[in-house]
Amino acid sequence: MEFSIEIFAEQFARTFSYWWVILPSILLGLIVGAIPGFSAANTIIILLPLTLAMDPETGLVFMVALYASSRLGAGIPAILVNIPGTAGAAATPLDGYPMTQQGRGQQALTISFTSSVLGGLLTTIIALLAMPWLSQVAYYLHSVEMIVIMIFGISLIASIAARDTLKGLIAGFLGLMIGYIGADVIYETPRGTMGFLELYDGVPLIPALVGLFAISEAFSVIEGDSILTKLGREAMQTGGWGATIEGLRETLSRWWHVVWTAMIGLVIGVVPGAGAAIAAFVAYQQSRAFSKTPEKYGTGHIEGLIAPESANNGVTSGTLIPLLVIGVPGGATAAIMAVVLQYHGVTVGPELFATRPELGYGPFTTMAVTYILMIFTILPLARYMSRVTVVRTVFMAPIIISFTLVGAFVPREYVFDMYLALVFGVIGYVARKTGYHVAAILIGVILGPLLEQYFLRAMRISQGDVLVVFSSTIGNILWVALVVSLCVPAFTAWRRRAAQERTPAAQ
Amino acid sequence: MDRFDDDFSRRGFLKGSGAALGAGALATLPFQVAMAAAFPERNIKVYVPTREGGGADRNLRAFASIWKNHIKTNFEPAFYPGAAGRVGYETFMGKAPRDCYHLLFGNMGAEVLNWVVKPPTFPIDSYFYFAQVDADPGCLFVSTKSKLKNVDDVVAEGKKRTLNVGVSRLAHPASLGALALADKTGAKFNLIPLSGGRNTLSGVATGEVDFGALPTSSIVGRSAFKIVALFDDKNALPDKIPDAVLVNKHFNMNLPPLVAGARAFGIQTEAVEKYPDRYKTLVSTAEKVYGDPAYKAAVEKTKAPWEYFMYGSAEDCKKYVASITEIGQQYKQYLTGKQKKS
Amino acid sequence: MTDSQQEHGRRKPIGGELIIPAVAVVFSIYYLWTIVDVPFTAQASALFVGTILIFLCLALFVRTALALRRGEVSLGIGGLIEPTSFVPRRLVLLGLTVAYIFVVPWLGFTLTTFLFLALAMAVLNGGRSKGFIAALSAVLAIGGWLLFVVAFETRFPAGPFEMLMQRMF
Repeated sequence: MEFSIEIFAEQFARTFSYWWVILPSILLGLIVGAIPGFSAANTIIILLPLTLAMDPETGLVFMVALYASSRLGAGIPAILVNIPGTAGAAATPLDGYPMTQQGRGQQALTISFTSSVLGGLLTTIIALLAMPWLSQVAYYLHSVEMIVIMIFGISLIASIAARDTLKGLIAGFLGLMIGYIGADVIYETPRGTMGFLELYDGVPLIPALVGLFAISEAFSVIEGDSILTKLGREAMQTGGWGATIEGLRETLSRWWHVVWTAMIGLVIGVVPGAGAAIAAFVAYQQSRAFSKTPEKYGTGHIEGLIAPESANNGVTSGTLIPLLVIGVPGGATAAIMAVVLQYHGVTVGPELFATRPELGYGPFTTMAVTYILMIFTILPLARYMSRVTVVRTVFMAPIIISFTLVGAFVPREYVFDMYLALVFGVIGYVARKTGYHVAAILIGVILGPLLEQYFLRAMRISQGDVLVVFSSTIGNILWVALVVSLCVPAFTAWRRRAAQERTPAAQ
Repeated sequence: MDRFDDDFSRRGFLKGSGAALGAGALATLPFQVAMAAAFPERNIKVYVPTREGGGADRNLRAFASIWKNHIKTNFEPAFYPGAAGRVGYETFMGKAPRDCYHLLFGNMGAEVLNWVVKPPTFPIDSYFYFAQVDADPGCLFVSTKSKLKNVDDVVAEGKKRTLNVGVSRLAHPASLGALALADKTGAKFNLIPLSGGRNTLSGVATGEVDFGALPTSSIVGRSAFKIVALFDDKNALPDKIPDAVLVNKHFNMNLPPLVAGARAFGIQTEAVEKYPDRYKTLVSTAEKVYGDPAYKAAVEKTKAPWEYFMYGSAEDCKKYVASITEIGQQYKQYLTGKQKKS
Repeated sequence: MTDSQQEHGRRKPIGGELIIPAVAVVFSIYYLWTIVDVPFTAQASALFVGTILIFLCLALFVRTALALRRGEVSLGIGGLIEPTSFVPRRLVLLGLTVAYIFVVPWLGFTLTTFLFLALAMAVLNGGRSKGFIAALSAVLAIGGWLLFVVAFETRFPAGPFEMLMQRMF
């Protein structure tokens, strides 16, 4: 996999010549990303007859552009109506939606787009340049290390629970418990399935996601005329391009935040099977832990929006690395890409860089070009998209319910999943109304089964020795980092309190 | 994975799949004018217990694209993934009418092992397989970066320390092969179920496990891996996997072929009893497919190795299911975790 | 403001807050009951998390009981249903949602979506602007059909409308 600047430049030029494929793919990606239940992977499957009819390079460009843009699309409903389009955007509404309610939707969208594009672009370039080294990450992050990374994400429950720790923890642990529904990964013994065969593989994510966020939201918002607060409505009156420019400026001035949260995404993305949701939660947790103002997270804080959006786009380029370096796809979308290429007689793997560089480097240059083209197409739209928030809730609530129920149905096409979404909707509604954070439940539902899977695998490999979780050097370093990141906010708060106590005394 | 023609496109089976959800069965029928009395007078629906786009989907498409010319009707697949195929089987046995217009298309080996671990809600002999379309043997494979280079290295190392074996799940023919080899040679293998073939490949490639056991076709053609042993009577792909030894021959064992990918059409016993003529038509037309040169072309279009495609009769399927079930029973305790075994 | 009103205002109704922990305890106990007879590895995580969850819930019950004794809170469920004027509308919306899922396998995506949207919007809007609501619902339902059924070929239950369209084209 030799790197030469000529090949690189040639590849970029070549990819740009595919703009006519990329632009429509971006549009499609934004749409499917924004609709819960649809993702790049199932859209590619749906459009297989079309994809297979293209030559391999065009097909690849189409798939990669769709993949990158769908990731960005998922953030749009998360910010505007509190409905993450995919699990990868599950951390986006934490600060994105409060911004919208305050009438800063346009700004929030701009921040999300800019940090996604910057994060995505940066990690794509790093992935391209550092592929041989990055691919090594997967050799060091095994089950044991992934257990610690999961706990990073899960510890976010404690942060979210800050206001009422006991209730926050109950919500999070209930989520974990719900996440444990289904057969265990070793012996496939069904647990807690209430007799439903549909729950055998665990609680499907999308129904849980749309139930907890969207449906419960729909039941709540009907109390107000629109989802905006009173101040928010006033802020929306002023409109114009100002908020877009403001959002752009705010993101660029926090460029370092974009960079390091994107890197979290990239590294987690390289690990086969990890995924965007984990990266987004870990990035959010880290962002909060090292913030000077952790208490602002969850109230419409800009860093709280940058972190998950930048990280989940970092994952996108990361997941392609295992596919290209060892020929094994790291995620569902990459797996479909491999199938399509295989159909054309192209076996994906390291030899591609020598034999068909346009296919080896292609995914990365396409991704970079997609991000570049995307920023110009989507940024101007933020202003118009944010107008959605002024739609009256009497219309909005039924639309949210019917279209998210469709979303719950789509991934597995079981009517059961629509009922499940409704059950989660009721749980989410009760939780919201009585002071339990739905995001804490969702973190449990998403990360719980993953944590268990890695834990069981590690236990199995160690043949039942619990101390296996402290058996690896990298794992132990991560444990220390975890402890540090959990203590930092407390330490910061303590110092600030101490400083505040000193200040009045000095006056 | 291909849409072979208009009759077998997504749009074509949109109708049929709707039926799966309870609507189409009512809705499609009124539009079908029941003219001919001969079987089949309408489309045949096929329940697939795995997801769209997988190996079963691929093989079904190839087979059905030819079969439809012989049987003179179309096939409408409906996918019921979940619970290692249980959802599909339960739906087929629970809801599909017993009329020979509703068939199952599943992976016999992996799926009958489910019943060993936990019996289904319906009697196991209330359905059977009648037409096998492929036989993809289980294999042992290593990463090309591993210091284990061949099966003797694997066994020798396994006698020194417990080796971790990546498998897609415990109840899988390839997993049973690894267990049987460990029993025979005294090597210690610790099976690590990694939930699916893709994760198993990742686990082997990244060194989390020492080697892996999967269906052969999921390894062939991947340069990061090397197949070291086959659980079959012969190596059907001597050019592509020259280093693979036959476990039975090499270790002087007499395992049945542990075919890990053995897709076949299934039908309810009751349907056959009720409509023996229809069943006869199904069998006689399915038999013709394998000999049709167009079938080989269709399979090759899917890029799956043609060498692993074969036709198995109801008798062959029965024999295969019995042998896999028997070896599954031997290891039942290991599979269910009720008792430790290395 | 009378004394009793003041008294009532001071006592925060937190009965609703006990629903989630109650559900959590019941579910955890059920879950643990389902894993009594499974291998230890399949029990470990849930046993750990479930036990903590039950203890957390018990802690909350104790906290609530103490607050009740101090007279700071009441067991009312006001927090859950307030503002009460929305209760009927919310229940209707819930009923319509259940009806949607129940009916969609027979009536198909398009018709069910249309009926759901029209009825839900009409109820929420207090029966005003019926024409607009009907038109909006029709546009959304047909738009959804074009997007989900025609373009994405989602295998959503087909009903009379979908069948008719399929026959026509």
